[in-house]
Amino acid sequence: MGFLAPWFLAGLAALGLPIYVHLLRQHKTEPLPFSSLMFFEQRTQSSIKHRRLRYLMLMALRLLLLFLIVLAFANPFWKSTALINRGEPLLVVGVDHSFSMRSGTRLADAKQGAAGIIAAKGGGARAQVISLGNNADVLTKPEQDKSILRAAIESIQAGDGKTNFGEFSRAIRSISNAAQVPLQVHLFSDFQRTGLPAGFNDLQLPTGVELKLHPVANRAETNYAVETVSAPATVWDTKKARVQATVAGYESPAAKKTVSLVVNGRALQSKPVELAANGRATVEFIGIEANYGFAKCEIRIDGNDALPGDDRMLFAIERADPKKALMIHESRDGRSPLYYKAALGSAGESAFTLDVVPVEQAGGLNLSRYAFVVAADVLSLPSSLEASLTKYVQTGGSVMIALGPSSARRNRVPVTGDPVSEGKYYSRDGARFDTVGHVDTTFAPIAKASGWQGVRFYYSVRTPAANARVLARLTDETPLLYEKKIGEGRAVVFASGLDNLTNDFPQFPAFVAFAEQSARYLAGVDERQSVAAVGSSIELRTQRETALGVEVMDPDGKRAMSLSEAARASSFMVTREGFFEVRRANGRHEMIAVNADRRESDLGLIPEETRSLWSGAAGETVQAGIGPAASSKKEEEQVHPYWWHLMFAALLAAVVETIVASRYLGVEQEA
Amino acid sequence: MLAAVNGLDLVAKTVVDGFVAGLHRSPDFGFSQEFAEYRSYTPGDDLRQVDWNVFARSERIVLKRYRGETNSQLTVMLDASNSMAYGSHGVSKIDYARYLAASLSYMATQQRDACGLIVFDDEVRNFVPPSTRQGQLHRLLHGIEHAEPKARTDFLRPFQHFQEFMKRRGIAAVISDFWAQPEAIVKAVAPLRFRGNEVILFHVLDPQEVRPKLRGPAILIDMETNDSLEVSPDYAREEYRQKIDAHITDLRDHTKRAGMDYFQIPTDRPLDEALREYLSIRQGRF
Repeated sequence: MGFLAPWFLAGLAALGLPIYVHLLRQHKTEPLPFSSLMFFEQRTQSSIKHRRLRYLMLMALRLLLLFLIVLAFANPFWKSTALINRGEPLLVVGVDHSFSMRSGTRLADAKQGAAGIIAAKGGGARAQVISLGNNADVLTKPEQDKSILRAAIESIQAGDGKTNFGEFSRAIRSISNAAQVPLQVHLFSDFQRTGLPAGFNDLQLPTGVELKLHPVANRAETNYAVETVSAPATVWDTKKARVQATVAGYESPAAKKTVSLVVNGRALQSKPVELAANGRATVEFIGIEANYGFAKCEIRIDGNDALPGDDRMLFAIERADPKKALMIHESRDGRSPLYYKAALGSAGESAFTLDVVPVEQAGGLNLSRYAFVVAADVLSLPSSLEASLTKYVQTGGSVMIALGPSSARRNRVPVTGDPVSEGKYYSRDGARFDTVGHVDTTFAPIAKASGWQGVRFYYSVRTPAANARVLARLTDETPLLYEKKIGEGRAVVFASGLDNLTNDFPQFPAFVAFAEQSARYLAGVDERQSVAAVGSSIELRTQRETALGVEVMDPDGKRAMSLSEAARASSFMVTREGFFEVRRANGRHEMIAVNADRRESDLGLIPEETRSLWSGAAGETVQAGIGPAASSKKEEEQVHPYWWHLMFAALLAAVVETIVASRYLGVEQEA
Repeated sequence: MLAAVNGLDLVAKTVVDGFVAGLHRSPDFGFSQEFAEYRSYTPGDDLRQVDWNVFARSERIVLKRYRGETNSQLTVMLDASNSMAYGSHGVSKIDYARYLAASLSYMATQQRDACGLIVFDDEVRNFVPPSTRQGQLHRLLHGIEHAEPKARTDFLRPFQHFQEFMKRRGIAAVISDFWAQPEAIVKAVAPLRFRGNEVILFHVLDPQEVRPKLRGPAILIDMETNDSLEVSPDYAREEYRQKIDAHITDLRDHTKRAGMDYFQIPTDRPLDEALREYLSIRQGRF
C-alpha cells in the first residue's frame, strides 16, 4: 500500500478539531453557588473524570469522516503482485515507405529485411505488418501464416508521404494496449532526422515492448531538391507571369545546376544556377506560354542525386482573360481614376481591366459583368444605381468606396448606409495632416503595402464604422479603412480620396501594391488553392454546400473518392504526388499540384544516440524470444487506487454523522 | 404566587385566612368550664384547684383540671444564614422562610397569642419579644422583612442564648435549612424542649438541594464558607441524593426521638398547601 499524494496526509492534523470540540470545550465549567457542600465530596479523579469525552459516537463519526477525506485526498493504492500469463509475444514488423525511401534501394532493402524477420519467426508465433508514411497503416491482423505476412510486405510500395515516427509509436502503443501481450517490434527505415516528432515523449513505448531498429541507410547522402515554387494560380498576361523557384542542396558540395520551367511537358525556359555547399538559390522565370485553361507545370533541376523524386516540383496555373472592374467617379474628379487606373496597370500582372465611367453614365450598366466596383468620392449617386449596386453586393459582389469631400456632403455612405459624421480637413489644423495610427496587418492589401508608413492624409470622412472590421485608423482614431459584410458580398470603405488632393497616398509605391492587392481581394482571385503537399487536405465544400456534389480526379484520371464520399466528404487528403483535378461544390474546376513534403529531401539521419535512447526506452526486453514454445509468464505489480471507495465511505459517515448529531442536538434542546 | 405578593402581611393574610384550626391548643390549663382530668395532689399545687367534693367522698386529694384555649406564646426562630439565600427558581429559601414566618406570626396574632421573633445565623441578629400588644404583628413583620442572609449557620451559639429569651413555655418554631449534623441540631435545639416548650422544626429546602441536576461537571461554591469543589453529574445524581435523603431521615428521626415536631417544606411547594397539610397533621395528633 502507498499513497500517490502523501503530502495530503498532513491534513490528519485536522483530527484534533473534533477532539477539541468534544473534550476541551466541554470542560469549560462555570462556578455555581450552592447552599452547602456538606454532602459533596472532593475526589482526586474528578478533574480527569470531567474531561470525559462527550458524545463518543458523534466524535468517532467526525474523526472517521475527516480521516477518510484526508486519506482519499492522499490517493492511496494497493499493489498486487500477480503471476500473469501474458501469452506469446507478438511480432510487429514496420516498413517505412515514405518519400525518402525512394532513394536508391532503401525500400527494397527494408522489405527484404522485414521478410527475413518473418521467415525467421517460429511457426506458431503471430506477427503483424505495419507500413509507415504520413500515417502508420496496419496491413495485417496478427497472423501466424508467413505467406500472408510476406504478401503484405511485398505489397508495400514507395509512397510520397513524410516519415512520422511519432505516428509509428502511437500505433505500437495502440497495438500493445489491444493485444495485452509483449511486443517485439522491428522497424526498417532510413531514420530521417526530419521524421522525429517535436517532443521525445511522443516516441515513448509502453512496458512490454521491445523495439529493434533496422536502418537501411548508414549515412546522409547528397541530395538536391526544388524546395519551393512561387507561381500565380491564375495567369492573365502570359508575358508578365512570374515564377520563382528555390533550389536547395542537402549534404551537398557547391554545384552548378540547370533549372528548367516545364509547361505541359514542354521545357520553356532553362536557367543555370550556382549552389553553394548545403546552400539555396532562387531562380525566376518571367513569361509562361500556355493555352487558356489549366496547365500542368513543373520546375525541374538536372543531374542525378540520391533522391530523383524531389528534383522537380509541380505547380498548376490557369490562364484566363483579365477580369473586368468598374470605377465610378464624379465627372469633375479626374484625378481618382487617373491614379487608380495607373496603379492597377502598373501591377506585376494585369489581372484586371478597369472600366472608368462617370457616375451620370453608370445608370444602365450591368454590374454582374464586373469582378468588383470602385466608387470614388461620388456625390450624386442615382438611387437606381445605388439600388443595383447594393443588390450587386448582396448577391456576392464586392465594392470599394472612397470617401472624399463630395461624399462628406451626403448624409450617409452609399451601400453600407453608415452615417457620415463629418469631413475633416487636417490642413486647417496646426498639424496640417494626419498619419496612419493602427493597421491590421493580417489584411493582405495593407500588409503587402508596408503598412502605409509616411502617408499624409489631409482630409478624411469620419463614420462610426459600426459592425465593421476596421483595418486601419488614423492617429486621431478615425477609421480610415474598414470592411463590412453585406449579404453574400462585401464593401471596403476608404475614408479618404483616391486622388492626390485628400492625401499623398497615390504618390507612394505602396499605393500600387494597395490597388493591386485590394483588387485581388475584392475579386477573390487569391482564394484559389493550386499547390498542396502530400498528407494535406483539400477543402471540398463549406457547411452550407453539404447538398452539392464534389469530384476529385487523381493524377491517373480516376475518381479518387467513392460516390458516398463524394456526397459527404468536406475535405480530401492527398496521399501522392501529381495533378489532382477538383470540382468543388460551388461548381468551380481547379487543378491542384501535389508534391511530396520537402522535409523528406533532407536525408540526414537520426543520431545514433537518439536511436539508442528510443529503442532503450522501449520498456523491458522480451526475453522469451519469438518461437513456438515461447511464452511470457512474469510477475507484474499492479497498482489499484481506491480513493473513490474512501470518498463513498466518507459520504456514508457524513450522513450518519448528520443523523446522530441532529439526535443529540434534539436531546440537548429538550434538556 | 408568593413571589408576586410584596407585602409580608398580605402574604401571611393570603396564606392563613380560611384556616379552620389554629396552630395550637394552649398547653396551660385555665379556668374554663371544659373538664380535662383529675390529678393527684402534689405538694406545692394550688389548693384552689382541689376538688373538695371528691375528697369528701373518697378522702383522696385530687386536683380538677380544665382545658382552657388561652394565651399561648409562639416564638419564630428564623435562620438568616448565607445558605438560606440559595434559590434555584423564583423564590429563594430565605424568601420562602420569610413567608412562612410571617404566616405563622399572623396566625398566632389572630389567635390572640403572644408571638415573638428571633433572627439568627451564627448569633442572634434580631429579637422581638413575644407580646400581644397592639402593633406586635407589625413589629414582627418588620423584623422578618429585614432578615437578610449574612453569615454562616451555627446552631449552638444562638440556641444557648435562646434560653434567656424564652421566659414562658410556649411553641418554638425553628425555620432553617438545617445544614448541620442532625445530632448537633438536636443537641442545640433540645434544651428548648426541656423547659416545656413545644418545638417545631420547619426544614426549608430548595428542590435543587434535594435532587440536584447537573448537565456536566461543575464547580460548586459553598455560600457560607466560599469553599469550592468540582462535582461530577454522576455524583450529584447518585451519591449526593442518597446522602441528602439519609440526612433528612436522620434529622426526622432524631427530632422525633427528642419529642420535637419536624416538617420538611420544599420551596417549590405552595406555602398555603404545605401549611394546611402540616396543621391537619398536627390537628389529628391532638
